[in-house]
Amino acid sequence: MMIRHLLLSGLAAACLTAGALAQSHPPHAQPGELEVDPYTVSNTNAGASPIEDPSVYAAFGGEAGIARVVDGLLERVQQDERIEGIFRASDWPRLRRTLNEQFCYVLGGPCQYTGRDMASVHADHGITTREFNALVENLQDAMDAEGIPFALQNRLLARLAPMHRDVVTR
Amino acid sequence: MIRLYSLCLALLCAAPALGQELTVRVTNGSGEPVAQAVISVPGSLPAIAADVTYEMAQQGLQFDPFVLVVPRGANVVFPNRDRVRHHVYSFARGNAFELELYGREQERSVQFDAEGNVPIGCNIHDNMIAFIRVVETPHAAVTDSNGQAVLTGLTGARGPVTVWHPYADAADNQVSIDWPDGTSELDVILDVHGRR
Repeated sequence: MMIRHLLLSGLAAACLTAGALAQSHPPHAQPGELEVDPYTVSNTNAGASPIEDPSVYAAFGGEAGIARVVDGLLERVQQDERIEGIFRASDWPRLRRTLNEQFCYVLGGPCQYTGRDMASVHADHGITTREFNALVENLQDAMDAEGIPFALQNRLLARLAPMHRDVVTR
Repeated sequence: MIRLYSLCLALLCAAPALGQELTVRVTNGSGEPVAQAVISVPGSLPAIAADVTYEMAQQGLQFDPFVLVVPRGANVVFPNRDRVRHHVYSFARGNAFELELYGREQERSVQFDAEGNVPIGCNIHDNMIAFIRVVETPHAAVTDSNGQAVLTGLTGARGPVTVWHPYADAADNQVSIDWPDGTSELDVILDVHGRR
């Protein structure tokens, strides 16, 4: 369990995509999203390179399976008193969309990540290691609920873990 | 000619007789206006009106205003207009508090029951600093960008004018100046260091 935690400590990054006050809708934004300050779209903003082994993306159930994991994660976050406050003013449609893109991209799926980089997204939120780890626990639970094998969960988490240094600022 | 002179005199006398307003202009030693200084004149504090609201907002990762003056006992609301959370606090004696304010949270308030200065910070954003000055008088105002503030309703008020700024180069960050009878305008020099 301990090792699992260490591995996981990366994931929280993805989730805090709250918008700053902003100037425009990027072309990839979906209806309902708030405006964001201009930024350069690039897959490198995802903060991790894709897993090349195609069996991992398949084990997650492709885009539909990833969407269920993201839904499960966000549902848990909203009910987790340790961190739900961080997300209260978040742009949830955008958060959900960019998380799907990020997971799909990192898992080696046929997706482009169009969100901002992890440092920009999390700047000013004052996230602590404890809060980061709480989000990781919620992701683990969401993946468990989808029946994703432990070893494959950790393949994703290992990619996300280094984001810790861009996410935790306090 | 004599009549005109008399009329002028009467007009001049009118202001002190009404005695209700005092305009204070604060400049530094170089003659530049000093904004965000609190001007006050002693007076007796009436019961706090329930419908008067004071506000210390957070917007763009700054407090707004930088300096707020309130009568003792006042409630100050702390609306968070940012999308990120703030953790607002003060260690001021008698007025210590902390508020964890979520993004776009608008409603929470703090009552300030002790006279004195309340430096305010945010645990998450170290650059956020503001001051609430809690006074025991209804006669107080903050200078504008021209270094000017107007106190009204001063009939019967007595005692010196105090000018305070959080970064004033003076003992207790303030100076007190006599306010002779009949004065309706007062120029004060106060040197201020650092930000703002």
